[in-house]
Order: sequence, then C-alpha cells, then structure tokens
Amino acid sequence: MPKRSLAGRLDQAIEALLGSGPVPSPPDARVRELVRIAADLRQLPRKEFKENLKVHLQRRAKMATTTVSFIREGFHTLTPYLVVKGAAEVLEFARQAFGAQELLRVKRPDGSIMHAEFRVGDSMIEIGEANEQFPPLPATIHLKVDDVDSIYERALHAGGTSLYPPTDQEYGERDGGVRDPGGNHWYIGSPRGETHFLPDQRSVTPYLHIEGAARCIDFLKQGFRAEEVMRHQTPDGIVHHAKMRIGDSVLEMGEAHGQFPAMPANLHLYVPDTDAVYRQALAAGATSVREPVDEPYGDRSGGVRDPFGNTWWIATHVKDVQF
Amino acid sequence: MKTQRKDADERLLVEAAQADPARFADLYEIHLGRVYAFIAGRVRNRQEAEDLTSQVFQQALQNIRRFEWRGAPFAAWLLRIAANAMADRWQRVAREQGDPPPGPPDGAATEDIERRALLCQLVDTLPADQQRVVVARFIEQKSIGDIAQELGRSEGAVKQLQFRALQNLRARIDPKPRPNTWGGRRAHA
Repeated sequence: MPKRSLAGRLDQAIEALLGSGPVPSPPDARVRELVRIAADLRQLPRKEFKENLKVHLQRRAKMATTTVSFIREGFHTLTPYLVVKGAAEVLEFARQAFGAQELLRVKRPDGSIMHAEFRVGDSMIEIGEANEQFPPLPATIHLKVDDVDSIYERALHAGGTSLYPPTDQEYGERDGGVRDPGGNHWYIGSPRGETHFLPDQRSVTPYLHIEGAARCIDFLKQGFRAEEVMRHQTPDGIVHHAKMRIGDSVLEMGEAHGQFPAMPANLHLYVPDTDAVYRQALAAGATSVREPVDEPYGDRSGGVRDPFGNTWWIATHVKDVQF
Repeated sequence: MKTQRKDADERLLVEAAQADPARFADLYEIHLGRVYAFIAGRVRNRQEAEDLTSQVFQQALQNIRRFEWRGAPFAAWLLRIAANAMADRWQRVAREQGDPPPGPPDGAATEDIERRALLCQLVDTLPADQQRVVVARFIEQKSIGDIAQELGRSEGAVKQLQFRALQNLRARIDPKPRPNTWGGRRAHA
C-alpha cells in the first residue's frame, strides 16, 4: 500500500475533525499540531460577518455623533398606527371624545389623509387612510383616563358605538368599551384599588387581541427584546391578559375570543438601531414588509409582519426634519 | 515593557473612541476575534455566536463613554459584556434546552480564546490562495472537492495549499506562552 503524503495524512485527520466525531489525535506529532490549529480555525468568525458588523457599527457610530435621540421628539418607543377608512372622521372623533390634539396632517392629492399625528394625554397616535396597498387595520387601544363615565359618554356622542358600558372590573379597573367610526376599539379605563395598571403606564397603551398570544409573547421577547411584566393565563396556557415592556413603553395583549376577535394592529416602534432589530425580528419568525430605508422625514425605517398578523414599523430617528 | 506599551496604545485607542465613536472601528478590529472565540466556544451554533457577538459590540459602542480605565484591560470589559449577554440568553432560551449556565472564562479557556484571537488576525496575513482555502475549508466547512472546483485546481493542489496554510500559521504563532493580557480582574465600567 503506497504511503500517503503528509498533506494527505493531514487532510484525512481534518476530514475526521470536520465530521461530528471527537477531535482526532493522529500518531504523527507534526500532523497533530496542525490539526489542533485546524480545530481552532473552525471557530473563527466568517469574513462576511466581520465586514457586515463593521459597516453596521460604523453606521451606528455616525448616528451616535448626531445629537438627536433615536426616538423622535414627543414620541415614545411604541405608538399605535391606525390604518382606517375615514381617517378624518376618526381624528374628529378622537378630538371630541378624548380632547385629541392634532399635530400633523399630510394629505394625498385626493385630499385623503396620508399620515397624521395626534396627541391624547401624554401619548401619540398616528393614523392614515387605508388604500389598496395598506388595507384597513383598525386597532385596539387601552386609554387611561381620570373619569371613565364622562369620557365614555362623550365618545358615544362623538359617533362611537358601545362595546360595553363602564363597569367596575375585578382586575382593578373601571372601564367601558367604545368602537369608533373607523372600527378601532377603545377601552376607556381608570385604575381602581389593587390595579393591574403599571405605575408608568401612559394614557395610550396598544392592546393586541390575537390568536396565539402565548407564542406572540415569545416572539416579542426574541424579536424586540421585550420584557414580560405580567401574564394571567388559564392552566392550559390561554393568555387572558399580559403586559410586555418594550423600551419605555408597555404593550398589552390577550387571546382573541368571542366578543373580542383577533384584531392585528400596526405599530410604530422606535429602536436605537433599525437594521439590527429588523434582522432580529426576521430571525424570530417575522416576514419582511419592507427593508430598512432612510426616509425623507428623518427616520430610518423598515417594516415586518409578525406571525400573528401585526405589522411593525421599526424606526430610528436619525435627524430632525422640518415638515 | 512590551505589555506596558501595548496597554498605553490601547488606552489611546479607547480614549479616541470615547471622544469620537467613529474611532470604535479600531477597537473592533483588535477585539473581534477574541470576543467571537469566547462566545463561539460556548453556544450551539454559528448563528447564535454571530448574534451575540453583534450584540456585544453594539452595547460596547453604546456604552464606550462609561468605560473607565482602572487597570483592567478593555478586553476584560468586552468579555464581561459577552458573559452577561450569554447569561441573559441562557435565562431566555438555553436553560429550557438544558444547556449549562455560562460563566466567566477560566485559565484554560483564556488561553484558548487568546490563541484563536491571534489566529483570527494571522489568517489575514496568509497568501491569498491559502487564505481562501482556510476560509472555505474551516470556516465555511466545505469539502476538498468543492473547493477544488471553485478554485479550478486539483484536489491534490488544494490539500497542499491547506497543508502550507496550516504550516504557515503554526510558524507565525508565537511559540512562547502568551502573557495573560486581560487577567482575571474585573473591569470597572
């Protein structure tokens, strides 16, 4: 049998090394030494990864030298984005019912609202007129108020229809539900006694009614580094109510059922690094709606849809732009 | 003397990055191999190693101004961020999969990390054809046949290149034991 060359014997040992078995220990000390180096080489980073991460860090470093915060002024980490038929009507409803203050309205050539922003209490809400590209996606909003009964009445007068009248709930809240002319659901509530409200919960908390809430919690943890702060569920794992903290905001959710069918929503999520979170969300099971791009209004923004039908517009505010 | 000089150089690089985050790239180049080697030895696959490594450098960039020079090298600070990131991941995922909890590197692990960090830099100094074989064979884990086809060379020639690359690397690794450059002390961040 012909004797193998040193390079051949080395490759034989490397073949064994790259298989799933233990690190081989060839009899020849020279080969053994080289195999040890080969074993270490297996754990070096890919070139492409090295370069991509470098580019990415340079982009972030550039952002860090600008003085703007990654969250646009007046906003928080999480903002509900209502996509409805009749956006102007919903805005008027919010003004009359909740004293909403309109801060921005950008119209399309046909006069419909392309994008508008309004403030309710200490929180922002965004809204746009649905079209073929973005079909209606009404959302559920948990609105914290001082006087549930009078706001509920105002909401009905402003064109809302009752989902349920103000009720003292056993979970430490008096709340009533109203559907607005655009189909959005508003849970108008006020803490009572031993309440589930978190001390830092703001006027507006997005509420997700979805199918598969427990799995959605896992997705939010993985995709957006969300922190679970509360979960009430049945022994067989049906989530009645959960609260997740993402950045400086709270998101509430519960399993869709009966009177509360699934209502996936649009959410605007500010993060320090859009590209990283976009990739993280895809890795966690979301699908891409749009890759991150630099928007003319000063945000870098990309969109993903999670496995539960919610659309997330992930954004980093890069520079202030006057509208 | 050499170590003192190295510390002083690194201190300048850290201070430059603290003043201007765009200079963080220099620190990244120096420490990527080290951080990656630490993480790759403790997670299940390449994807996890890459995710965690990205996380570590992003956090480091974000907090670079909070790093204070109190005797412990910058690498110790980075590896502490890496250990925390892995502990956090373990809490979220790996615990359910039955993985053992990660801890800080011990002496033997430190040697492994330093050896791989050095290799990471040495690979870039190999002649181009040897470098391509090393990357394809060990990092991308391709077969000799596939590499031969890609390079338009015979399998024997690729095996020779693989042999010469490993010999070159062995010759370039400092044969003396390397000093423990970041010690067991904790950085004060």
